[in-house]
Amino acid sequence: MTMITPFDRSPTGQGSFRGWLADWAEAWNGFWFTAADPLPLAVIRIATGAILSWACVVWLLDADAFFGPRGWLAPGDVWRMNDQPWQWSWFFAADDPTAVRVLGGIMLVAAVLLTLGLATPLAAIVSLLGLVSAANRAPLNTFGLDDTLGMLLISLVVGPSGSRLSLDEKILGAGQGRGAASVRANVALRLLQVHLCVVYFFSGAGKLFGASWWEGTALWGAAANLQYQTLDLTGLARHPLVVNAITLATLFWEVAYAALIWPRLTRPVFLAMAVAVHLGIGLAMGMMEFGLAMIVANLAFLQARTPTRTDFA
Amino acid sequence: MRPPPADHSEFSPRQPVPRPVRLLLSLVILVYLTGVIIAPLSGPPPASELSQLMLQPFRPLLGALYLGHGYRFFAPNPGPGHSLRWTITMPDGSTKAGSTPDAKTDWPRLLYHRRFMVPEKLAALVPPVDAPPEIRARARGDWLPLVKGVAGNLLRTHGGDRITLELIEHYLPGPDEVAEGRSGPDMITPLGTFARGGSSGRFGGSLPQAEGATPRR
Repeated sequence: MTMITPFDRSPTGQGSFRGWLADWAEAWNGFWFTAADPLPLAVIRIATGAILSWACVVWLLDADAFFGPRGWLAPGDVWRMNDQPWQWSWFFAADDPTAVRVLGGIMLVAAVLLTLGLATPLAAIVSLLGLVSAANRAPLNTFGLDDTLGMLLISLVVGPSGSRLSLDEKILGAGQGRGAASVRANVALRLLQVHLCVVYFFSGAGKLFGASWWEGTALWGAAANLQYQTLDLTGLARHPLVVNAITLATLFWEVAYAALIWPRLTRPVFLAMAVAVHLGIGLAMGMMEFGLAMIVANLAFLQARTPTRTDFA
Repeated sequence: MRPPPADHSEFSPRQPVPRPVRLLLSLVILVYLTGVIIAPLSGPPPASELSQLMLQPFRPLLGALYLGHGYRFFAPNPGPGHSLRWTITMPDGSTKAGSTPDAKTDWPRLLYHRRFMVPEKLAALVPPVDAPPEIRARARGDWLPLVKGVAGNLLRTHGGDRITLELIEHYLPGPDEVAEGRSGPDMITPLGTFARGGSSGRFGGSLPQAEGATPRR
């Protein structure tokens, strides 16, 4: 009996380690360096910009408390909550209320421009710098929304997110291949896809430590927490099997996401689950912005193609 | 073993990217994604010594791009919620009591959530009052400076002179208790009393309650 190893069969027919490596290089190049339609990135840009704009407005509602020298966290104590000096912030330079508001205002303007797609490359960079500055200055006030917005903005900086559905497109026109499929758009979308898989994998793996997830009762822990609650789900107390089913389905979905989001057969199911889970968290636990941001990130897995004239012929 | 399918068919045909550019971009992508993976691998605990070691060269990248996250949402178990209960003595001697967050006044909801994160993050640092004294003493150096800042912000916001703070861990009732209309007592951890320290805007703190307190459940 002959044992077949992974090195024995290769689509290239070389049947060797070199052939195997060549297959991987081929797949790597196909995965990253294929041109993709920038339309999904443009949709992600609009949604991310809108959520970020709203987040900026809320930061500004209590800017002194979040970023001021006498706020929740004194500038000299930020190192206790994050990794200084690497976690820089432009708010470290703000030592009076006016400076805090000006810097917060720059964040907001950049986020609005990003949404509209005006001066998009610059708006994306300033939006990312603003988000990083806010999150690094106010670590006592951050949560998953900020992590997700950071992940989204990095892809928007990398890719040509303003080449479609933008004022830039209206003003500059669609000449010189602007808005066409590109490797840059593909790299940006792929980065977001892989990053999202990392997020779900570690979130799911972390839950595997928890007894309540194995027992199928974790959903109850979230539903009965009055500090989070915006929708009364305590009626679920009378339906323990429903709580079990939803908890276990959520756990399976999160743990398996990194593998089963890629095959076309399972992708629609996993995307539908993402919408259900994140909308559920948004509605029931009062974190709608976080839920929407995660749904937006999942858009990176949607197939999209800009219609051409022949489509309408 | 073959790499996962690249699903090329969703995309336009491959564009020619010069080999040196491809190699350089591949290196950048690999470094970036390694950083993205190393961050949750190295924390929160439990984490291996190896991952901690591997994290070190990535700290500038992760810090600069705000990528150093653990992504353990509601893990390992969804826990109880926390809030800060405060009593402020105003300059005229009157007192004002409240809590952070406050669902009635902290609106919009995102503002509530940003304020809600303050007690949630402090709760990760403050041991419960029934913890061994040596653990409480060791932890105090971590949370006391943060609580002083929180006290200062609340005094500034409300214009008070003195504030007493308590961390409340809200009881998380089980399904049976909710079905029977029962609940349990919250756990209260005194954090101290803090006074405005003159015109400099600095705040002095003392911990009379924290030192002598017993758990109230």
